[in-house]
Amino acid sequence: MDIKDIESYPHIAFDMDGPLVSHFFLLLQQGVTIRSRTGCSVAAFLREEIGADGETIGKIQSVILDGSPVDDLESAVIKDGSVLALSAAMPGLVGATLRRGGTYSSFRSAITYHETQEKCVKGEGLIQIKIFNLLMAELGPGLLKKGVVIGSEDFILFTTGQSRDFWKVCRGITLDGKPLGAGELPDSARLSGKGQVFLSVSSDKAGA
Amino acid sequence: MDKILRIDMGADGGPKTSSVPLGQYAGFGGRAMTSAIVSKEVPPLCHPLGAENKLVIAPGLLSGTASAMSGRISVGGKSPLTGGIKEANSGGQPSQVLARLGYAAIVLEGKPKNDDLYKVFINKDGVKISVDNSLKMLPNYDLVAKMKAEYGDKISCISIGPAGEMRMASATVAFTDMELRPTRHAGRGGLGAVMGSKGVKAIVLDDTGMPMRAPKDPEKFKAANKRFVDGLKGHAVTGQGLPAYGTNVLTNILNEVGGYPTYNFKQGRFDGASKISGETQAETEKTRGANPTHGCHRGCVIQCSGTYNDKDGHYLTKQPEYETVWAHGGNCGISDLDKIAMMDFLDDNYGIDTIEMGATIAVAMDAGLAEFGDADAAIQMIHEVGKGTHLGRIFGGGAAATGKAYGVERVPVVKGQAMPAYDPRAVQGIGVTYATSPMGADHTAGYAVAQNVLKVGGDVNALKPEGQVELSRNLQIATAAIDSTGMCLFIAFAVLDQPDTFQALLDLLNSFYGMNLTGDGVTDLGKKVLSMERDFNARAGFTSKQDRLPEYFKSEKFAPHNVTFGVKDEDLDKVFNW
Repeated sequence: MDIKDIESYPHIAFDMDGPLVSHFFLLLQQGVTIRSRTGCSVAAFLREEIGADGETIGKIQSVILDGSPVDDLESAVIKDGSVLALSAAMPGLVGATLRRGGTYSSFRSAITYHETQEKCVKGEGLIQIKIFNLLMAELGPGLLKKGVVIGSEDFILFTTGQSRDFWKVCRGITLDGKPLGAGELPDSARLSGKGQVFLSVSSDKAGA
Repeated sequence: MDKILRIDMGADGGPKTSSVPLGQYAGFGGRAMTSAIVSKEVPPLCHPLGAENKLVIAPGLLSGTASAMSGRISVGGKSPLTGGIKEANSGGQPSQVLARLGYAAIVLEGKPKNDDLYKVFINKDGVKISVDNSLKMLPNYDLVAKMKAEYGDKISCISIGPAGEMRMASATVAFTDMELRPTRHAGRGGLGAVMGSKGVKAIVLDDTGMPMRAPKDPEKFKAANKRFVDGLKGHAVTGQGLPAYGTNVLTNILNEVGGYPTYNFKQGRFDGASKISGETQAETEKTRGANPTHGCHRGCVIQCSGTYNDKDGHYLTKQPEYETVWAHGGNCGISDLDKIAMMDFLDDNYGIDTIEMGATIAVAMDAGLAEFGDADAAIQMIHEVGKGTHLGRIFGGGAAATGKAYGVERVPVVKGQAMPAYDPRAVQGIGVTYATSPMGADHTAGYAVAQNVLKVGGDVNALKPEGQVELSRNLQIATAAIDSTGMCLFIAFAVLDQPDTFQALLDLLNSFYGMNLTGDGVTDLGKKVLSMERDFNARAGFTSKQDRLPEYFKSEKFAPHNVTFGVKDEDLDKVFNW
């Protein structure tokens, strides 16, 4: 995926009536891609790109960057192509082990994130972000309103798997600004031939 | 709770019961009680299925009281799976009921002289034991339905399924939940087989007419309970994460860090993880009219359990736990949540440990008996166990037995017991506990209470390599103590983070018994329990050689981090130096 291609992806926008996160949560846990500045710390990314305030960052107890648990949000750097996963506090000893800077962090020292980039290269890039558990409701609405890139087939699987209740709370769908019927979604998602769609979701009760 | 019920199943003329004072076991509950009786009374070299072994069932110190979270029950004996001492504990209703009936333990001793199958009924009027061969080979759900029809719906049941009757090394002891379903299990180590060897199919409990156990200082007890509950409800894990998603909330994050054992511990990531995650599971349950937030016993305020309905909205099983979803899911390459839920039901019904069964299926898949990802084949393997076919008898013997039968090298066991859902190469500290716990590979053996609260063993520098050994030691000590209170281990999250919640726990114990227990006292209890267990295993022939992970964990690199288990043997041997 190239950052320049994003503009050419079909932009599918949902307007939902009522709480929407539970319907879109599968996409968030699987991972979605966003356009973001790079070369900044994880802490700055969370604040400035995701819009997380201090209280929300406090709830983000486990931060996984490129598969490795991060202890220091200020020193770990976001790069083009980074995969960042966010989780609230998890149960169990291993849940405690994966907390950032926790007492048991030594238990997973073999996989802990260590920043190797000596000089931050500031710029813009694509970041894959995964949001788990309680954070989905916290961060999901804002992310979805801003828009995320997901694979066309994942999107089609998601929409075709939705129940009648989902479509009842769907007030409208547009493709590149033009109204679209639900039945047209699979074909529209495949329009670009690039295997990706740009998805945005707005809702009165999304808090976004 | 001032007496022990001993049932001699091998007595002349049929089973004989005796109710005896606590004596030297006074002050013990849960794991401390089971391990004390087993270490003192069971010859370590006896056959686990022989007359000399004993099955001990003990509620916790606060079971049967108004204390929140006090409904765990411990089952102990010499394990047919590991050959060492075993304590497996469970939720469900029987702990509260047994404690209110006044029993600190039930001890099944001896062995019947014929093949008759017995049921035991205990209420306020006493104990009645009767032969009931109509129960033979009944699965747990059918058995409980029959007991309900016979004794009414105010009962709770402790039972074994066909696996226990067939004395399989992966057999569980089942405990009914609040809805009188046999969904909670003392799963690990094959203690269901020990119950089967005693010829006992079911223990039916009815506490009608029995009051709640009364504390010595009711006011202090009530205040401590309130602080304890507030602490649990106020904590992010016990108050929010667990109630919303259950333990399966761990799937996504374990997978993300590459610590999720997949395809029989070959790699740390599973492509289908999000399809079987706690988030997906909870959403599926809600969509189908089931309940993702539910307690396993009355008095639970964490509510990490739930119910799982099939596609038509009918009850299928309780909400499968993280370890179950992993064992039958990622470890076998299966990403169909409905099929995994079906396997959970079958395990409960036949009375099989879900972790051991999942690990066994994965080993069988590695042996070429089925393809990884073939859910129908996995379900069929469980049926083989339940029916007791020749193949099922091998699977029912567990992962190690199956690995031997089929010549598989990659068998993830310690002391013969299958590892749970965390790869010890990615999270090496838990590998220390897997290796050294007297119980065999057990994720709950080192679980509870931070040393920054208890100061067990003094201050630990967790950043030093040896810190992993020291932390594992401290965790095992604290866990042994918590297991003895009958408290759910999940209280550990709040206790770990909130010293006041830990103090509330101490205050609950102190106000109930009129004691003055301190953090040091808790530590001493944990050490005492572990010492008894280690001593039993040593007398059973265990040496440091049993305190090791399988060799391939030191040589096979684990993707995506390509790590091997690096804790040295000499460091593992220091875990119990205190």
